[in-house]
Amino acid sequence: MTETHGRMTIVAAPGAPAGTFTIGGSIDETADLHQLPGRAAAGRLALDLAGVAFINSLGVRDWIRMQAVAQASGLVVELHRVSEPLVHQLNMIVATRGNATVTSFYAPYACDACGREETVLIDAIAHHDRLMRLDPPLFPCAECGASMAFNDFPERYFSFLAP
Amino acid sequence: MPPAILIVHPDRKTQRIVQRILGSTGFAVEVTGDPVTATALLATLEPVLVVVDGALLGPDAAALFATAHARGVEACVTLRADDAGTQVPSVLDSGAITNLLVHPMPVLGEELTITALKLIRGDLFGAEKYLLWGTPLEAVTLTRASERASIVAALAAAVKARGQAARVAQMAQLVADELLSNAVHNAPVDAAGVHYRADVARDVEIELDAPHQVELRWGCDARYLAIEVRDRFGSLGRDTILGALGKQAVRETGSGAGMGIALAYRSCDHLVFNLAPGTRTEIIALIDVRHPPTERGAASSYNIFVDRPRQGAS
Repeated sequence: MTETHGRMTIVAAPGAPAGTFTIGGSIDETADLHQLPGRAAAGRLALDLAGVAFINSLGVRDWIRMQAVAQASGLVVELHRVSEPLVHQLNMIVATRGNATVTSFYAPYACDACGREETVLIDAIAHHDRLMRLDPPLFPCAECGASMAFNDFPERYFSFLAP
Repeated sequence: MPPAILIVHPDRKTQRIVQRILGSTGFAVEVTGDPVTATALLATLEPVLVVVDGALLGPDAAALFATAHARGVEACVTLRADDAGTQVPSVLDSGAITNLLVHPMPVLGEELTITALKLIRGDLFGAEKYLLWGTPLEAVTLTRASERASIVAALAAAVKARGQAARVAQMAQLVADELLSNAVHNAPVDAAGVHYRADVARDVEIELDAPHQVELRWGCDARYLAIEVRDRFGSLGRDTILGALGKQAVRETGSGAGMGIALAYRSCDHLVFNLAPGTRTEIIALIDVRHPPTERGAASSYNIFVDRPRQGAS
């Protein structure tokens, strides 16, 4: 069942472990995101963030409050499929990172052969060592099959992964 | 004799190039290689603008900026993009530099010329100055506070519909949202200087009468996507801006998060403030749509222009 909080949606993913939620839409002054830690289960809160299309400064404040409540409650917070707008905020404002673990995130890629640009999901655990070396994995271009390369400054885009 | 521009750059070849760029506009251009000489020259040349290369930043340059500020001379720092990531924080911390141009090549022509022209002519307002001639600007007026979300979502959709990358649309949405929110809630000020809407919750509906309405204009010339937001109060000050650009921490209390200007600055390539105290504030965000992120600078440019009555103006 989809809950609507202003312009943000929350879905308790069917079949997923309790405390797992899919967040979508816009995180802004209407979101009430800081209520989520109260719905964690077995000390764990897992968020699928692929559908977050927008977050503004008030959404960032709500996000930081959510992280603070989770941290104070001793929760393990997992962030899955973190969308690009959220990655930008994780990079710009250190406090947004809290104690959360990012398991996967989206990143901009471009094909040098045909010019296609795409947002690609990166498994942060499988590629941990490469990402720490600022050497992101290559992916095949869906259009021409050539190799797509990461399309941003690694030291800037992956700074949120720094321990 | 036209007003003078003083260029302070350590490299003689670059001095000549910048001298040609700015000299071609008809202004008298003087050059020197160090800030100490430049400080001495301020007394005799009385320039309108002093342009200082970022490689010279330090105590002598700080003294130059202080002298320029005291004499009402605008100062502009130019930084090479390669150095900007490390130098911009100290530029922002100084709180004294009102114009910073970050550029990918040794010399930046267009932005420097626009900066000089705006200052010398005293003609500050309008995003048109940053776009190719004839570029149309879409305009919308915010008449209710709640329209902000739909307007910025429509802007992002329109940018995408014109073939721009999702990244550009996301940046445009964030920049427009923060600037509109500031204009609706932080700009209104009464005769006593009280910002009477600053503590109104951002999700509370407010009908905006004519003085409180906010104008958004945007356009793209395939070089820049320009987003312009204008209020009719002119309450945003130079020192407030300089304190806000480098902010890292979100405000815990109050209705605003206190990060709007900082997020807008970091989400665009160039943020321009045109200030007419007591009359209007116009902020223009420029997002470079030509280059992939890897070819953009590690930091962004900014200008703070203050409208001043011209000498001899009636």
